[in-house]
Amino acid sequence: MKLYDLAYGRAGDKGSIANISVIARSPEAYQQLKARLTAERVKRHFGDLVKGEVVRYELDNIEALNFVLHDALDGGATRSLRIDGLGKSLAGALLYMDWD
Amino acid sequence: MTYRVGSAQGFYGDDVTRALPMIEGGHVDIVCFEALSELTLAILQKDRLANPQRGYTFDLAIIARQILPKAYERKIPLVTNGGGLNPQAAAEMARDTAAKMGLHGLKIACVTGDDVLARLDALQAAGEELANIETGERLADTPNQNFVTANVYLGAAPIVEALQNGADMVITGRVADPCLYLAPLIAHYGWAWDDWNKLASGIVCGHLLECTGQVVGGNSLAAMNNINPRHLPHLGYPIANVEADGSFVLTKMPGTPGCVTMETVKEQLLYEVHDPRSYLTPDVAADFTTLRLSPDGENRISVSRVTGKLRPDTLKVNIGRLEGYMRELIFTFGYPEVWRKVDMLKAMIAESWRDLPIRRVEYSYLGMNSLFGSLAPLPDDPLEVVARVLFTADDTDTLKTAVRRVMANGLSCPPGMSVSGTTVGAEPRPVLGLFPALVSREVVTPEIHYIEV
Repeated sequence: MKLYDLAYGRAGDKGSIANISVIARSPEAYQQLKARLTAERVKRHFGDLVKGEVVRYELDNIEALNFVLHDALDGGATRSLRIDGLGKSLAGALLYMDWD
Repeated sequence: MTYRVGSAQGFYGDDVTRALPMIEGGHVDIVCFEALSELTLAILQKDRLANPQRGYTFDLAIIARQILPKAYERKIPLVTNGGGLNPQAAAEMARDTAAKMGLHGLKIACVTGDDVLARLDALQAAGEELANIETGERLADTPNQNFVTANVYLGAAPIVEALQNGADMVITGRVADPCLYLAPLIAHYGWAWDDWNKLASGIVCGHLLECTGQVVGGNSLAAMNNINPRHLPHLGYPIANVEADGSFVLTKMPGTPGCVTMETVKEQLLYEVHDPRSYLTPDVAADFTTLRLSPDGENRISVSRVTGKLRPDTLKVNIGRLEGYMRELIFTFGYPEVWRKVDMLKAMIAESWRDLPIRRVEYSYLGMNSLFGSLAPLPDDPLEVVARVLFTADDTDTLKTAVRRVMANGLSCPPGMSVSGTTVGAEPRPVLGLFPALVSREVVTPEIHYIEV
């Protein structure tokens, strides 16, 4: 099972900081995500793609988590040498996480 | 009485004509056009360097020619930050266009004061540290002082004043995206500048509207399976029906493709958001964790109970600087021994550039690891590989020499190598760095000029 089975989301950029929303597909899924999808786990998952710290925010009201990934975009859209300098694909990179 | 705000632009290059059916069908009381990303001002800087009368978005000419006459006829004001680096020239262009079309009595407001490029030294001399929000580095201490843009994110106030003074069109430079949409609500309902909950509600409303297609099924993982892909170029753009207490229903242009659902609204709500308890804008710190979303019929999501807190004492200024140039080449390799050939390519290129001042070289393999990096393990013996190499230098001549030298190996290359012709023929692209900093509110004074036709 993948995180994608429990959630969907979207990535956005501000400078070299990316954010990824992880929005639960059900109340049960949200409880699971809240308990187990920690900032540390997300940081580990991304490896060298994210150089800085990862911060997690909880939104119980819409059953979603928001992850802020520092130094994640190779300097940001205007400088990045990555083909996806805006990090549009990063939500998918997180949802690709194995989940059991 | 519900006040209806339409959104017909979310970036420079968006299809602004989607405002027309909103206006002609009587579905909106005002339309806002948000044109500026972090990148856009740096792009516009090149235009202004080439011609001092430019530096605004080209979309504004379309708005002036095709949309303004219809909107003016129905007394529907238009608000845009597409004035970019040159709102004054944009306003003059709009005036000339309106005059040519025989419009009379039209009032265009032009908001300036966001551009502080010429004031950077004076601001620092007056005690503004302009420390980088992300790194803490003070502007004075940063080695590369090659600044090309410096724009403060203004709030809603000058737009509110212009609308209350009867402007039919308001053209600004850098105004914080959601404040563009908050302004008409303040102007219409007369919300107090310390009525934090209402202001925050207007910010959430603006945040949901400001990316047009993204809240009606575009760029949506949740809506992917419900959207007919042929509808993507025709999505009906969003409209908010806002009440005096700040609560609103987010919907879209009736009778058009696309969808507004709990899922599309949640996706957009968190787009480009950091701390959702304190979404900082020039006018209020909005809290996204108290609000309530609920379905209110087809393509209608009701948003209520937004709360807000005191606005920050400082404003954000984004300073752009030229950090060099970049160039891209794409090579293809097929079976056999693909990775051996890629290693040969890397060695060949390194040798060709040995005495050139190339700053950075980055390789990635398209379809294999170009998006996900180390998350995507490379296959041992693939049938084909597309290698993308990005390289930078301080000047364009170095990059041109670098490309010429690599291409000179055309018949002395790894076996079966091919290169993408469009990448060979491309021009170097500027590397523009952004230096985001904070500046005291008191030193920034927005000005409004009115031009009548």
